[in-house]
Amino acid sequence: MSITLFQGILLAVIIFLLAWDARWECFFMFHPIVVCTVTGLVLGDVKLGLQAAAITELSYLGLSTVGGTVPPNALMAGLMTVVLAYKGGLSAEAALGLSLPFALLMQWIVIACQSLFSGFNVKLEEAAAKNDMKAYRFYVFLPEIILTLLYALVAFLSTYALQNVISDFVNSFPEFVSHGFEIAGGLLPAVGLALLLKVMLKKENVAYLIIGFLLMSVLDLGNVLPVALFAVALALIGFMRDKNTTVEEETDDGEGI
Amino acid sequence: MAKESREKLTDKEIKNLGLRSMFYQTGFNFEKMQAGSFGWCLLPGLEKIYGKDSPEVGKAITTYGLDFINTEQHAASFLMGLVLSMEENGSDRQLIKSMKTGLFGSLAGIGDAIFWFTLLPISGSIAASLCGQNLLIGPVFFIAFWILMALSRVLFLKAGYRLGSNAIEMLTSNVKELTKAAGILGVMVVGAMIPSYVSFSFPEDLTLFGTVGVQSIFDSIIPNLLPALFVGLLYYIFKKKQVGIVALILGIIVFSVLMSLLGIM
Repeated sequence: MSITLFQGILLAVIIFLLAWDARWECFFMFHPIVVCTVTGLVLGDVKLGLQAAAITELSYLGLSTVGGTVPPNALMAGLMTVVLAYKGGLSAEAALGLSLPFALLMQWIVIACQSLFSGFNVKLEEAAAKNDMKAYRFYVFLPEIILTLLYALVAFLSTYALQNVISDFVNSFPEFVSHGFEIAGGLLPAVGLALLLKVMLKKENVAYLIIGFLLMSVLDLGNVLPVALFAVALALIGFMRDKNTTVEEETDDGEGI
Repeated sequence: MAKESREKLTDKEIKNLGLRSMFYQTGFNFEKMQAGSFGWCLLPGLEKIYGKDSPEVGKAITTYGLDFINTEQHAASFLMGLVLSMEENGSDRQLIKSMKTGLFGSLAGIGDAIFWFTLLPISGSIAASLCGQNLLIGPVFFIAFWILMALSRVLFLKAGYRLGSNAIEMLTSNVKELTKAAGILGVMVVGAMIPSYVSFSFPEDLTLFGTVGVQSIFDSIIPNLLPALFVGLLYYIFKKKQVGIVALILGIIVFSVLMSLLGIM
């Protein structure tokens, strides 16, 4: 069955709205559970939507953006699993595999955007320096508007206009470009951390930087909490010592000649 | 800094700030991740404390809204409450900033464990099994559950705000020692974040003279040596050289694609 222009537009609008949620990770409506069901509703086949929701959700449930990584795009996977099954008269299971190129395409777009959007940080700095909060608000939201519109565009093209072309394009995309952006995604957090250190790092602190790094590197920890607790302990020792010295100094002054 | 009287933010404003924090993570990018949106979420609170268009708002945003931060969303709401409460009491900004930097990583660990690794898989698999039986209640349950979780951010922000006001007195009387201690905490957590966030490695099949794996040489010295050196290099560049950040970011992207093209990384 084919998709009408109206359905294509409607899906693009829905994806646009859900894309905001995908960026916020707030209501989790970008998860296949919701995306597939809504897509099924739009196409008039709720049962297909629910079936696709069940299997797509289970495939993408384990993927998370924890730690700033970007997995294949669950929103696009949910949309295209239903669309491909509907168009090709396939089972939801078969369509799930075919939806992967679309999920990958969107993943690459997100990675590329998140890399390039780093440039907007300079605009935020300028706005803050000029105390121009209007500009600050604007540059927080501008990248998001660009990206969510891209989501809508990809959704419209994939569902209505260029489905086969996109599928072929994704499959023929030079792997080195997408892999390159993956590498960049791993390197760019270093810029943010180095900027933090520029402000925070002092001679008396360097030892703690090394300790924190080594603990995290050597111990196989799931998150930084244990290291942070250790840091609290060390900070507490330092704090107590400093406080006692201050008190002693004060006492000394009192006993002075 | 002069001590301001407390209670500038009403209960209703705190609630609204909590609701606003649902839009945290707007404008996410790889360099500073959630920095801009953290500032954006604080804005109405800061404007209430200092008055609209006050230069203090810009200064506060410079301190809280421009630095690398990446944490779980509920943890972020909690931190916002804490920051606002301390800000309202005129605590030293560098101290607040160090607290924020030192806390976000560990709070992220707690938040991720609760929301991403426990509640999400459970709610998702329950909903999926309902969908598998063609029951529309599956997605309805999922949506309702996560709307509740989103709204709960109001409580997290409130909790942070309350905690902040109780901790203030202790904090203000020992500023110098505390700033130092918070500096230790912050720097050590940044050290720990280097191996968790920065990945810089060569593929296993890249060898030197056809025998020794390049990556294994680095790994045999200490694990994650390359991410550490890379952060060190960038730190050096920021400290000593005048390089535009945009140029640096573009440089990193070009370098990455080039490495990928040459098959080195």
